[in-house]
Amino acid sequence: MAGKDTKKKKRRQRINVNKIKSRKLAAMMLIILLAFAGLGVRLYFITRDSQNDYQKKILSQQRYDSTTLPFKRGTITDANGTILAVSEKVYNVVLDCKVMLDDEKNAEPTLTALSECFGLNLTELRQYAEQNPNSQYYVLKRRITYDEMSPFLDRKNEYNAEASKKGNEEMGNISGVWFEEEYIRRYPNNTLACDVIGFTGTDNNGTYGLEEYYNDTLNGTNGREYGYLNDDATLERTTVAAVDGSSLVSTLDANIQAICEKYIKQFNDEHLNEAREGLGATNIGVIIQDCNNGEIKAMASYPNYDLNDTKNSSQLIGMQRLDADGKKTGEIINEEMLAQIEEEGLTYLHLDALWKNFCISDSYEPGSTAKSLTLAMGLETGRIVGNETYECSGALDVSDRHIRCNVRSGHGTLDVSGALEQSCNVAFMKMGEAIGVKNTIQFEQIFNIGLRTNIDLAGEARTASLVFNEDTMGPTELATSSFGQGYNVTMIEMATAFSSIINGGYYYEPHLVNRITNSNGDVVKNIEPRVLKQTISSTTSEQMRQYLYAAVAEGTGKSARPAGYAIGGKTGTAEKAARDKKNYVVSFIGFAPADDPQIVIYCVVDEPNVADQPHATYATGIVKNILTEVLPYMHISKTEEMTIAEQEEVENVLGYLGQEDSSETGDENAEGENAEGTENGESTEAESGESSESGNTSNYVVDPDTGELVNPETGEKAEMDYNYSAEDGEESGSTEGENSGGTSQEVSLED
Amino acid sequence: MAKEPIKFRSSKHNMDYILLTVVLFLVGFGLLMIYSVSSYEASVEFGDSAYYLKNQAQSTMIGFVGLFVMIKFPYKALQKMDVMALLVSAVLIILVKSPLGITRNGASRWINLGFITFQPAEVAKIGVIIYLASIIQRLESLGKNVIRTPKGLAIILVPPTIIAGLIYLITNNLSSAIIVMGIAVAMLFVAVPDYKWFVAIGAAGVAAVAALVIAVSNADATGSNFRLARIQAWLDPESYSTDRAFQTLQALYAIGSGGIWGKGLGQSMQKRGFLPEAQNDMIFSIICEELGLFGAFTIILLFVVLIWSCMVIANKTMDRFGSLLVVGVMAHYAIQVILNIAVVTNTIPNTGITLPFISYGGTSTLFLLMEIGIVLNVSKYCR
Repeated sequence: MAGKDTKKKKRRQRINVNKIKSRKLAAMMLIILLAFAGLGVRLYFITRDSQNDYQKKILSQQRYDSTTLPFKRGTITDANGTILAVSEKVYNVVLDCKVMLDDEKNAEPTLTALSECFGLNLTELRQYAEQNPNSQYYVLKRRITYDEMSPFLDRKNEYNAEASKKGNEEMGNISGVWFEEEYIRRYPNNTLACDVIGFTGTDNNGTYGLEEYYNDTLNGTNGREYGYLNDDATLERTTVAAVDGSSLVSTLDANIQAICEKYIKQFNDEHLNEAREGLGATNIGVIIQDCNNGEIKAMASYPNYDLNDTKNSSQLIGMQRLDADGKKTGEIINEEMLAQIEEEGLTYLHLDALWKNFCISDSYEPGSTAKSLTLAMGLETGRIVGNETYECSGALDVSDRHIRCNVRSGHGTLDVSGALEQSCNVAFMKMGEAIGVKNTIQFEQIFNIGLRTNIDLAGEARTASLVFNEDTMGPTELATSSFGQGYNVTMIEMATAFSSIINGGYYYEPHLVNRITNSNGDVVKNIEPRVLKQTISSTTSEQMRQYLYAAVAEGTGKSARPAGYAIGGKTGTAEKAARDKKNYVVSFIGFAPADDPQIVIYCVVDEPNVADQPHATYATGIVKNILTEVLPYMHISKTEEMTIAEQEEVENVLGYLGQEDSSETGDENAEGENAEGTENGESTEAESGESSESGNTSNYVVDPDTGELVNPETGEKAEMDYNYSAEDGEESGSTEGENSGGTSQEVSLED
Repeated sequence: MAKEPIKFRSSKHNMDYILLTVVLFLVGFGLLMIYSVSSYEASVEFGDSAYYLKNQAQSTMIGFVGLFVMIKFPYKALQKMDVMALLVSAVLIILVKSPLGITRNGASRWINLGFITFQPAEVAKIGVIIYLASIIQRLESLGKNVIRTPKGLAIILVPPTIIAGLIYLITNNLSSAIIVMGIAVAMLFVAVPDYKWFVAIGAAGVAAVAALVIAVSNADATGSNFRLARIQAWLDPESYSTDRAFQTLQALYAIGSGGIWGKGLGQSMQKRGFLPEAQNDMIFSIICEELGLFGAFTIILLFVVLIWSCMVIANKTMDRFGSLLVVGVMAHYAIQVILNIAVVTNTIPNTGITLPFISYGGTSTLFLLMEIGIVLNVSKYCR
């Protein structure tokens, strides 16, 4: 009973408990549901009332600041692939204190790593971080290379990996340092072809030369990493990759360029401070052009400058000082004067004078080299047939002026060839008279004199106002024009016009860029040689080649001929304006080889720093040296017999390339094999810089066969120690001949 | 103790698969959201966008092992461990102060037993549930009103209060202390027939909170006490938008900007650095931002289904101990979900409570799943 009772009681109790439990559970569930409902309502109200407001707030705190991803400016290479200008990626080290100090423990390892990897002062770093805990952009170091940067990255990865292990929480992390990318322009060959290449700062804006002319081609498009709002008002982050610029393959040959620059520099060094204070000549320019397609193989001038250090004003020393209007004052810049120039704010004026390309920007009276143009005009117009003879008595009276020939005693009777050989002014004045004003003006235009050649370089001068037209050309002007005085040309005008006389009459547009390639190396554009016009007939051209060959073989140009080769050409000695100052532009324009012209070479020496300026030998000497090296380099074989003296001379010029103390060396190089001779040593030597002792020094920037880059410094260095004695002898020997031949030319404009 | 044969009434009886499905869905959804929310921060911090996902997936695997163990484990055996569960909880909490304790983000809340790192507070929650379920059942079996005697009340309420006090004092974790006390009160509420006491206590609580709020809002904002500061930030988030209320305000921006349908999964802007460690307490706000009110209500509904299922199981089960266990678990979930959403919506001050199954956190996930295992186990013995 009792058990039954308790059982009943228990059951009742349980039912009771269950009832309570059910009710209380329901109550609890109700409370919970109410709470959820309340929260649901709150969510709804937040959304309803504040959606727009909060959306704006979110968008306003997003950072839209877009990061620029810099493009890489295109490379400029020469015809062999030698890099002339290249953009390299560099890094700026940026410290973000706010990120670093996110965790106090990060500061010490980060700053220590920074100071150790980049050689920064740890105390200063600490001080900066303490004083500017919110700074987010503090550039610690600018433009370091990848190699300088990577040790820090390695260290960071290593340290952070170690710190993330268990138990190393106190180590902190290296954080808050990032690297900003940038490109800088480098010119591996420093001064080589500086005037042609031009230069570019970090702004990717080319100044002078190819860099300026092809600025848009070389530049690409910056990429961008940016945020934007899409249609649903959500922020999208997008990266638009940078498009790198196109690269230029130039027609320049760095080796030929280096050879030209070497001999220009040599001339300068020889005549430095000789007759007056200052450079060996106010300006020296050399152009080597492929006469069969207008490609410029070398274009060098002096004074030059370092493309990697363009604003170094010490490069101005030796140049003439300019006044505020850019006029030459005649004073020569020296160290002390630099500060003065700086003070007057004329530094850039002077630097501009240094940076400009003499070969295309400066105009001058061409002098007797223009006689080749006059003769070509005469032959082409038929006013001169070739069997004329001219009587030279030493001067000619034109209108009311008495114009002297270069040889005051007169040349006597000369035929056409003789007139060119002896560079007789009287004969050419008579030719000019025969040709007439109209034809002269017409042919000047045909030869593009007074017009731009449209060479693909920035800064080509316009000479339109510096030449005559039919109204301004009277008999006197016609007479002086016939021997290259009275009007102005630029070097490139002359060289290109001369090329057309040589190559059968085809006037090619001169150009410096062969190919434009995109960043993948695919050719975007081939720049084909462009014939602009036919200047003279091929028959005339043939005749001209013979006359010009004779002018070198028999006449004034003798001293330009490299041993073993036959070349043609014409010297020039022009008196500069302000005739009383007795300043001259001496020049030589020629082609080689005589039987199958490949190149035209034009050398201009403006105001040689010598006591007696009017001798074309200053130009022909440079030309001879250059050709002695360039022709073998171009694999043009020798056609002429060489005397023993000539062989020795060639050995002297080329031999020193192989061996510095070269008085009797050079047999292996005599046949112009130096290209091969240099092949074995140069790239490995790569070069000690002062390698005047090094056995097999190359004078080439690039090995022509392997295309490998060689330090061009070597050639320049070696050149300073160059033994010129043989050349000196030659020069003095030939000066006599020159004088008797009479390149020295004088124009007296007497009443 | 006398040997009492534990009867398994019917192991063929189906357990509550709806509950299991809801839990599986919530866990899966939680992993998805953790990846969505944390991938940006993880890739910035660790260089691995799945860093948090991997960790959580690992914990979830362990959690499911725990869940299935608890389904099979005869839950009635737990009743024998009641006092021990409480003692173990207390000891583990105290161990936080020992060398075994680990400090993360400035809070000492973890201990490392060599093979596993976990939060003792999470253990304490399940410990308190077991203790209370057991002790209430025992007191009830002694007589109808034994619980309502002061002595009975003391037996029920004092130990959880001590545990809560330890949690608060030692681990400085107010939210877990509140949850422990909430579980205790809820279980007591279900166990006794009274209402008026609870209403009175509730009213007193509300009044006290109101008084505190008024006091705090008039206090000068020296901000030496971080809880005080949090309350001030709660009352006026806009004024503290750069520091104390930054997180709260950013969470509100996230919720508000989501609209009805949200910005789409993975499209949150706030997770990109503006809502730090959003995968923890603030994950619900990112759910709102990405999936909108629709997603938020769906999640709330799922929790309601889960809690409702618990209630049904608690109601149907014949076993008083099992029923009380389920009530405890149910209270645990309900409190945590409600408080979490309340914090995210700035309805109450920021306390740092995670959203069950969805927030990132290994220990929490493990014990929550084990609790589900217990509930499913109990559900097998329903009428």
